[in-house]
Amino acid sequence: MRTRKEMPTKNNNIFLNITIILILLAAAGPSFAQLDPKALPEPAPLKFNPPKPVEFTLPNGIRVLYLEDRELPLINILGFLKCGSLYEPGEKTGLAGLTGTVLRTGGTKKMSGDDINEELEFLAATVESSIGTEFAQIMAQCLKKDLKRVLEIYADIAMNPEFRQDRIDLAKNQAVESIRRRWDMPIQAASALFQERAYGAGHPLGRRTTPKSLAAVVRQDLVDFHKKYFAPNNMLMGVSGDLSASEAKSLLQSVFGAWKKKDVRFPAVPALAENADGTVYYAYKDTPQGNMFLGHLGSRRLSPDEPALEIMNYVFGGGTFSARLMKELRSNRGLTYGIYGGVESGPDRGLFMISSQLKAERFVEALDLVKGIIVDLQTKPVSDGELAEAKNSTINSFAFRFEQKRTALIQYINLKLEGYPSNYLEIYIDNIRKITKADVQAVAKKYMDPAKMIVLVVGDEKKFDKPLSSFGKVRPIDLKAIIEEEKGAQK
Amino acid sequence: MKQKQRSILTVFILTVLLLAPAGFLAAQSLEGKVKVKRLENGLTVILIERHGAPVFSTLYGFKVGSVDEVPGITGTAHLFEHMAFKGTPKIGTKDFENERPVMDEVNRVGRELSLELVKRDQADPEILKKLREELAALEKRQMEFIVKDEIDQIYNNAGGTGLNASTGTDQTQYMISLPSNRLELFCLIESERIKNAVLREFYTERSVIQEERKQTTEAVPMRLLYEMFMGTAFLAHPYKNPVVGWASDINSVTLEEAAAFKKKYYTPNNCVLAIVGDVWPEKAFPLIERYFGAIPRGDDPPALRTVEPKQLGERRVVLEFAAEPMMVMGFHKPTFPSKDDAAAMIAANILSLGRTSRLYKDLVRDKQIAASINVGSGPGLRYDNLVTVTAVPRYPHTNEELGKAVWEHLEKLKTEPVTGQELQKVKNNIEANYIRGMASNMGLAFTLLRYQLLFGDWHLYLKAKDAYNAVTADDIMQFAKKTFTIENRTVAYLVKKAAQ
Repeated sequence: MRTRKEMPTKNNNIFLNITIILILLAAAGPSFAQLDPKALPEPAPLKFNPPKPVEFTLPNGIRVLYLEDRELPLINILGFLKCGSLYEPGEKTGLAGLTGTVLRTGGTKKMSGDDINEELEFLAATVESSIGTEFAQIMAQCLKKDLKRVLEIYADIAMNPEFRQDRIDLAKNQAVESIRRRWDMPIQAASALFQERAYGAGHPLGRRTTPKSLAAVVRQDLVDFHKKYFAPNNMLMGVSGDLSASEAKSLLQSVFGAWKKKDVRFPAVPALAENADGTVYYAYKDTPQGNMFLGHLGSRRLSPDEPALEIMNYVFGGGTFSARLMKELRSNRGLTYGIYGGVESGPDRGLFMISSQLKAERFVEALDLVKGIIVDLQTKPVSDGELAEAKNSTINSFAFRFEQKRTALIQYINLKLEGYPSNYLEIYIDNIRKITKADVQAVAKKYMDPAKMIVLVVGDEKKFDKPLSSFGKVRPIDLKAIIEEEKGAQK
Repeated sequence: MKQKQRSILTVFILTVLLLAPAGFLAAQSLEGKVKVKRLENGLTVILIERHGAPVFSTLYGFKVGSVDEVPGITGTAHLFEHMAFKGTPKIGTKDFENERPVMDEVNRVGRELSLELVKRDQADPEILKKLREELAALEKRQMEFIVKDEIDQIYNNAGGTGLNASTGTDQTQYMISLPSNRLELFCLIESERIKNAVLREFYTERSVIQEERKQTTEAVPMRLLYEMFMGTAFLAHPYKNPVVGWASDINSVTLEEAAAFKKKYYTPNNCVLAIVGDVWPEKAFPLIERYFGAIPRGDDPPALRTVEPKQLGERRVVLEFAAEPMMVMGFHKPTFPSKDDAAAMIAANILSLGRTSRLYKDLVRDKQIAASINVGSGPGLRYDNLVTVTAVPRYPHTNEELGKAVWEHLEKLKTEPVTGQELQKVKNNIEANYIRGMASNMGLAFTLLRYQLLFGDWHLYLKAKDAYNAVTADDIMQFAKKTFTIENRTVAYLVKKAAQ
């Protein structure tokens, strides 16, 4: 593969509900010498109206977005609730994740998880649940002919989960096994150690699930966690596929009608504090490359800086080969298969982060280059070409967000969940067009501090070109001790 | 924790997809929508109109992969895939006329350096040093002419997404999705890349691939184990080689060898182009013809001579690595479109597809010996391949324990017929998964391209439907009896090496 991205870039949840100007190519006759694509005439605009979902609310408060999609005899059901590991107690870290798994596998009052498996798999249908940091998800897919039955099971899982003990045990055992293996791959190890330092080991975003914290979770915790957050008035659903809006409405009403509204309260989440002070953390691991995560806290969601940050990320390390990190470290110097970076937003703060797996014998050279690229963005304006490409790419690729109705719907839902105003899209596109070089430079200065970045390194320093101490003050991390400690708790 | 598990299995998801080609409902609705045209130079074009969003996805593939490589140049198919992004005389350069002599020098010195390096211990350190410095200086000079990754730049400006390529054992493919009125741009750039590729920056890219190999194989326990497993299961057939190539070959292959490889296999008569999305055949075909039709036909690629000899006894390999244990077990079997291949596909799904599969229920859910198990097929489809079981034991259970438990299930397939319910469930899932696969333009392009490219007719994917539907409990039993034998078995264990 030419490229495989190891780090997701910003979740692009930005939409245009106005007419998009795309560009039409006039037909040009090729000559059969070597042809230049830049010589093709400038194209005329193309019109496109993105599909807009129909919105309705059930009497019990479930909000629903619907998009018709008649091409294939399929239905997609999406459900999101505000609920996540942000709200779990520290000594029970992993509770939200377990609840998300066992919600589905532990069955309902009426059906065991195994009965649900048998019935759904025979229908080639899926209903899957999970709980992340901020949101819970229940996603279903089925053939149109099975919709009614699948929806009954779906609603039963959301409303009446039984959290059977044997499936809690299974999920815990599986989680403990994953923890045993999380240090096996160097980039995963680096990621875990970086998050812990960037967010702080005491913060819900920074702390790690351990065998000990899993052992502290009992069935009643799952029951209570579900009870607290799963309510119709806390749920946002999406339906797309081969059915009408009125069918969707009446089917949802029939399966969810009995679910009662209730008051949902969220515990206060501790504010994030900046821990970065330029320390180089080094964890020894016998592995062929130098693995790095650099960064510190990032931006706050809904910040007016978001459009400028999006352009800056594109130019800096957003995932294309035009990004400066990729150009310099991969294309010009062959130091890595891939390098990505940027400033991400979060409900409080996200992360500014750069990650890569690099040629060990030129590792410190690479660190210096990355630092130089940041400083460059802060001290000099980006080029005309870079600014234009970042904008053109964002605007002209817009139609792809609507290629599949299901993914379009997920993006509409994310926008709503994350609190973006309904007119946000038009404003956003205008803002993208308005971004200037000065705006890019300003956010580069405001959101990146190369002197204070956490430098997290996993690898074997003996293979590096220079000692890490030449880059900054080094603090070792004893990975072996961490692994041993976690294992000790397992038995 | 869920994500972790997914990453362990990622490598094998592809092989499972390869095993799931039949689509019944969807297939019928496809007939009539698929328009196929063969150009005079031998290029086959598949077009499917889907006028939803104003976008289209393109994929073109050459029937060439690591299976076409010989010792010394393993990894060349993949290496060339990377080089295909470096431009043409008009793309990626400010001034080709003046760039060219510098590039020729880069290539001359690069070749000398490669030849010196191959001497290993006998290499002269003075010569190495001199050549390295010379190469670096020349590359720096060439850089002044280069417009970096201009193909990416042009497509990005046009709103293109997903510009990428991939190489497998059997085929190499290139993809890009574009807004619907960018078809001519696509035709121009891609036909130029095939016709007039300039292999600039070869030695830097070789260095990128060295890092790719470390990142995606040497640092990833399951990938490294899989590489050793295939190297053991195949003695003679080139399926024994990793797609990315062996490290020593990646370090030694020269630009001349890559160019020769390209010339042999990158011909229109060895290529299929698939376009799916908001395109109109009456406009698209003439455009495609004008640009791609101008690529000269080449000689037909040579046939592979080597046939894997019958396995005459169990093979075992151990990887000592600083990671928790895992295992792969495999058995030789005939490839698509044999009856055995269809039986293998159904058996694999009965064993490991979903939470109601036999291995999941018994070994993951009940006995909890395993963290995960997947039964698939690999490494390719063009030649006879393997049915594989990849499994991750759960502590404190061992590879040996898990291997024994898996073996009992395979034995059971030989003596007890699978139930009608199991058979029907798998067939229901094959059908539904395929319909789902059609939701994406690129997914659809990929499926049709594979059948057309590897087996000469995309309709085979409709015929596969009959083959899968026809598989009976007795077929599975017959298949199990002849396949799941100790003498036909290869086993690879990853054993944890203590960290120093």
